[in-house]
Amino acid sequence: MAETSNRASSRPTRSAVVERVFDHNDDTRSLFLAPADGSKIRFIPGQFISIAIPLPDEVRTRPYTIASPAGRDGPFEICFNRVPGGRGAAWLFDRKQGDVIDFTGPYGTFTMESVPASETIFIAEATAIAPIRPMLHRTLASSGHPEMTLLYAAPSSDHLLYRAEFEAFAAGDRTFRFEPAVIPGPETYDRLLAEAQRRWVSADANRTRHFYICGVGKGVSALRDLLRGAGYERRAVHYEQW
Amino acid sequence: MAKIRVIFENGDPERVIEFDPAKAPFHHDGRPGSILDVLLGHNIHLEHACGGNCACTTCHVIVKQGGRQLSEATEQEEDMLDRAPGLTPTSRLGCQAVVEDPNAEITIVVPRYTINLASESAEE
Repeated sequence: MAETSNRASSRPTRSAVVERVFDHNDDTRSLFLAPADGSKIRFIPGQFISIAIPLPDEVRTRPYTIASPAGRDGPFEICFNRVPGGRGAAWLFDRKQGDVIDFTGPYGTFTMESVPASETIFIAEATAIAPIRPMLHRTLASSGHPEMTLLYAAPSSDHLLYRAEFEAFAAGDRTFRFEPAVIPGPETYDRLLAEAQRRWVSADANRTRHFYICGVGKGVSALRDLLRGAGYERRAVHYEQW
Repeated sequence: MAKIRVIFENGDPERVIEFDPAKAPFHHDGRPGSILDVLLGHNIHLEHACGGNCACTTCHVIVKQGGRQLSEATEQEEDMLDRAPGLTPTSRLGCQAVVEDPNAEITIVVPRYTINLASESAEE
């Protein structure tokens, strides 16, 4: 990584080798990255790494969430999709097995540092499932975890990532409900807002739930505002808006 | 012209930037005209691990003067700042605080430490 005065972070830069490439669908890919020094990356579910993207004119830094469960041996996974005009994603899509990627981190505040004590609702859309997935793994692995629901929307069934895994979780654990929903893009947040209103605002007076919400655009803050406005504690409504 | 005086808590020499806010963006990270954008565009380093997208707190700065000449903090910025070490009543995220007054005179302190929830040290 070029050391310039405009680098995004002065933290130590590490290198990782692309060990495997996996295409979820025609515009969504995962890279499995193994730290080049043989070490294991330590992170809290929800954190991201900052990848140095060497463009012809400069090095830019872009965040990519770690989608794999924390604390495991082997490579870690980042998951991303093509973004119109997105130079970072375009560069990542060109990476092949054996290529080396420089990064710093992990970083981020949209994290699950401990398993919530009360019912927990996860809401995500498409690739924004990335930070939620390690949170689910962590929660499901803890004994006596609370009831959980994953409400997961995507524009097509192909874009419901890790679906078989979540279905297997739900089949093996009665306290976990997996609710996939195929929703055309423009309607996504109207539908999610309506669902949240019906089930977690209007249905009862319970305001002890925890929410972890991740998605793209202002629909995320609309969900935040709905839930906080209904009386849920500010710090019980966690979100990350991409 | 607007002016930002930058004081580094780690003892690095103080810097003063004079600039025309109407000429923003000066760089490509952070909101155009934000403290991060202005500093990077004038070759002053400010951490921004997420690329200036309001997804971390590494660009945390403390505004000592001229806070009212900056854009108001959004709820998202306030939520993020909640997790910043050394939070003060005048803390802002450099990537979100936009210099709005063309004649602003702002003084900021760049804290010594920024958040890093998990150790970056490798596990063997």
